[in-house]
Amino acid sequence: MDLSVDVGGFVVKNPVIAASGVLGYGEEYARVGNIDWFGAVTVKGTTLRPRHGNCPPRIWETPSGLLNSIGLQNPGVDEVITHYLPQLAQFDVPIIVNISGETYEEFQEIAKKLADCPHVTALEVNVSCPNVESGGMAFGTDPGSCYRATKAVRRSWPGPLIVKLTPNVTNISEMAKAAVDAGATCVSLINTLLGMAIDIQNKRPALGNIKGGLSGPAVKPVAVRCVWEVFQSVSVPVIGMGGVFSWEDALEFIMAGASAVALGTAVLVDPYAPKKIVDGIQSYCESNGIDSMSSIVGIAQV
Amino acid sequence: MSQLDILDVPAKVISVDRREGDAFRAILYAPEIASRAKPMQFINVRVQESLDPLLRRPFSLSDVNPHVGTIEITWMVVGRGTKMMTQWKPNQTVHVLGPLGNGVGPDFLENKRKLILLAGGTGFAPIQLLGVRAREKGVDTILIYGAKSRHLLMNTDRLKEVGCKICTCTEDGSYGSKGLVTDMAELQLELIAEEKIDPENLVALGCGPTPMLAAIENLFADTNIPLYISLESKMACGYGLCQGCAVRAVDPQRGYYRVCTDGPVFLAKDVELESE
Ligand SMILES: Cc1cc2nc3c(=O)[nH]c(=O)nc-3n(C[C@H](O)[C@H](O)[C@H](O)COP(=O)(O)OP(=O)(O)OC[C@H]3O[C@@H](n4cnc5c(N)ncnc54)[C@H](O)[C@@H]3O)c2cc1C
Ligand SMILES: Cc1cc2nc3c(=O)[nH]c(=O)nc-3n(C[C@H](O)[C@H](O)[C@H](O)COP(=O)(O)O)c2cc1C
Ligand code: FES
Repeated sequence: MDLSVDVGGFVVKNPVIAASGVLGYGEEYARVGNIDWFGAVTVKGTTLRPRHGNCPPRIWETPSGLLNSIGLQNPGVDEVITHYLPQLAQFDVPIIVNISGETYEEFQEIAKKLADCPHVTALEVNVSCPNVESGGMAFGTDPGSCYRATKAVRRSWPGPLIVKLTPNVTNISEMAKAAVDAGATCVSLINTLLGMAIDIQNKRPALGNIKGGLSGPAVKPVAVRCVWEVFQSVSVPVIGMGGVFSWEDALEFIMAGASAVALGTAVLVDPYAPKKIVDGIQSYCESNGIDSMSSIVGIAQV
Repeated sequence: MSQLDILDVPAKVISVDRREGDAFRAILYAPEIASRAKPMQFINVRVQESLDPLLRRPFSLSDVNPHVGTIEITWMVVGRGTKMMTQWKPNQTVHVLGPLGNGVGPDFLENKRKLILLAGGTGFAPIQLLGVRAREKGVDTILIYGAKSRHLLMNTDRLKEVGCKICTCTEDGSYGSKGLVTDMAELQLELIAEEKIDPENLVALGCGPTPMLAAIENLFADTNIPLYISLESKMACGYGLCQGCAVRAVDPQRGYYRVCTDGPVFLAKDVELESE
């Protein structure tokens, strides 16, 4: 069966995308799994200049969840363009570059550099990173800033444009609308939920950066609710993520209104997760007489 | 770019047994990993097929037998995951990702006449396999091993059998000499100095708690003996995807290393040991 679906200006062969931050630039994953299993891959949050990332510890396990404070460690956009993207382009998978800026001008500049790179299918504007001091989530918690950041990218990037939203807001639909008004062709959600933990052995915060982002199965109900709300308020496709670990989880997001899902934490725990989830969706559709993905997107909406 | 040299395999549990003191040992059937593994490499284990605990747990390969296809891990119970592992039953399968980490290749012992191994507590686990391989190559090997108390020491018989010289100590004096690994290492370094071996023909490797590693680094700073250390850090993926396992590099240009792929074995002078 054909599992392809349109995600706002480009088509993915299956609705399972690699989320930003869990595949690096594909190099390491290719030692274990097959990048072609994914419908598309999103690379690690890329910034104008290289970033070394936050002080360790950066990882803390919680019940069915993962707190991380990586802090957008990446080699910077120039190095990504010259070194990493050509390698990743060997695979027959659309590349989405997740970008993060500290100012509107930076967003525009990064987008401009990527517009000249032949390997990029779409940009994902990260207005939702909880792990950086300046910029980051601040852009995604105010509709005006979200609009301006999206607009800045839109000025120099003509292609498919995804805006990645944070759940750390009272009304996520407002942010989605602002992004679409500024030219987003798709919205993706959710980025991690801001959280923290205390290491009672050391009597200190568990993460070196004190606060971090929570992901994994623990956040799934929050993510499904966000997808549900955003689907109702914008007409562009939605990429849903947050705790997708099984094909059942993926279908839950799709029926709530996601055209595709992205896998983050699941890939870290099980490198073969994308294959299992794609196969599971396939057999579900076949045994339920579903002949196109688009026919079940948002089918649960009442 | 695609090498497919790391595998996630359902490994059959052959046996789980309690060793001396607080240590447990499991032997798993994983021929694909056994045939590829190098000393000081590790595996990332899914303790059970559920979403809680969510992450895999990293364990060093304390032994591998490529002929029969088995790998061995040795651990102590420190939390939920390590406790659950003591309940593994023969014939059940557990998902094992590996072999992971740089490990040490054959060139590590190239031109070496003597290997000095320094271990603290569970840090002995990976050291065991390296010691065995060194003895197979005929390299003179000495192990300096310590823990707080006797029940926190792992069984060293395997290394004794292959002719490794073993010096054991405990902080409370309940086994071996009373004192720290560094005290004993200082003494042994003096003896080694008398042998007048060219430092180029010597190599040392330490694995254990961070304060111990920091102390041996100080001790070795006065010698010309190359010192390697094997590190632990909290890990999610175990093979370079998440950047979660960062350890600060001495070189500020470098920023951080990933313990799981750049390590776990580092030249001691390359990494900044931060005690938590
Ligand atoms: C490369 C490597 C090799 C290791 N080899 C061995 C070995 O051979 N024998 C052995 O006994 N132990 C070893 N450890 C430590 C072992 O991974 C931890 O003891 C184990 O993960 C604890 O799990 P838990 O669920 O019992 O503890 P919990 O405290 O409940 O675990 C919570 C989280 O913290 C992590 N964690 C806790 N302690 C450590 C630690 N010391 N290092 C890294 N992560 C930790 C866990 O993986 C988990 O994600 C190794 C660690 C690393 C990084
Ligand atoms: C280790 C790690 C690193 C991440 N890095 C980024 C990033 O660089 N940019 C970004 O937009 N999201 C990042 N995320 C968020 C994920 O892309 C995703 O939105 C979130 O984890 C929820 O999905 P999940 O529950 O499937 O992991 C990261 C998540 C994790 C766990
Ligand atoms: S544990 Fe994920 S990069 Fe090292």
